[in-house]
Amino acid sequence: MIKLDKKTKDQLIDLYKTKKVALEGNILKLIDPDGDVELESYLKETTEKDKDTRRKRLEVTRKVQSQNNDLIKWKEENEKIQLELKESLEQTENSMKEMEFLKEEAEKARLEAERLKEEADNARLEAENARLEAENAKKVAENDLELMQKKTQFELIGTIVKVALWVILGVGGVTTGMYLIALSTGLDTTVIGSTWSNIIGILLTNAFSIVGTIMGVKYASEKKD
Amino acid sequence: MIDSILLVDDEDLFHLVFEDACSLLDITLSLQSLTSSDEAERLFKKWFREGPAEERPECVFVDLNIIGSSFDGIELIRKINFEYGNHVVIGIISSSNESEEQAKAINAGAQFWIIKSDDIEPRLIEFRKDYDGYKNRTAPFKIYK
Repeated sequence: MIKLDKKTKDQLIDLYKTKKVALEGNILKLIDPDGDVELESYLKETTEKDKDTRRKRLEVTRKVQSQNNDLIKWKEENEKIQLELKESLEQTENSMKEMEFLKEEAEKARLEAERLKEEADNARLEAENARLEAENAKKVAENDLELMQKKTQFELIGTIVKVALWVILGVGGVTTGMYLIALSTGLDTTVIGSTWSNIIGILLTNAFSIVGTIMGVKYASEKKD
Repeated sequence: MIDSILLVDDEDLFHLVFEDACSLLDITLSLQSLTSSDEAERLFKKWFREGPAEERPECVFVDLNIIGSSFDGIELIRKINFEYGNHVVIGIISSSNESEEQAKAINAGAQFWIIKSDDIEPRLIEFRKDYDGYKNRTAPFKIYK
């Protein structure tokens, strides 16, 4: 503890009374009033004043501290929100990129579909052409077949006509020969004569009939072609 | 009344709160405040090697996380207790109340753990009552909530 001399005590008390300037802080707790009532009163008053000042400062400091803590919390929350915003922005950008990519893919798919459609159209046209060619080939084949059939028919008819002419000529020749032998040898020609005339008549009739049939068939075939 | 106290805390505003609370509660007449555990270590190193014993604080309050320092409060307590002499009452003053950290503090030689909050005075009053036990090394580790 500190003991003050009378002069110092009087100066301190006078300074406090006239200028309201007093000792502050823990030093007040170390001064021994040593039975001096006036100094004791001075110490009590200034200590109380010092405590009031400290209480006020403590309250203010607490408020500032509390506000500081709030500010720190707000800052942290703000940083968190900023981070979330940044992440959201990045996600949006990624989504946009993905959308762009998908759009490009869709465009590619559309172009590919168009290309395939064109190919399909070309294939359809080719198929149509092939069908027409096949139909033409079929017609040509049918015509060829018909021609072959006609040719065969003409050949058959020709053969029949040849055989028939040979038969006619043969029968006519034989009958004529027999009739000529009968005439030259003086034999009875009654039967052979009538037979020869009948045969010749029948043969001529048949020959003309054959010729007419052939001409008719030929005419009909040419008209059909 | 505690002869002298050293507070190691990175928060300047808390220095003012602690100083005013100690003065109003007549806990100590001598309070020194530091903002860095490195500075505290430097002082203890000096006091341990060459400094007069009376310059050393009687009691040390250390924050758990001291921003801007090379090591935290628990490491500082370990250094003071095991490297620079075990002669001070020492503990943590922090807003944290994690049991894992408290266990580490006990291992480092902390004697108390005061939860830092706006209303620090009731805890300091209670601490003052238990102080003699800490000084005599008879009081167990205690958490002031």
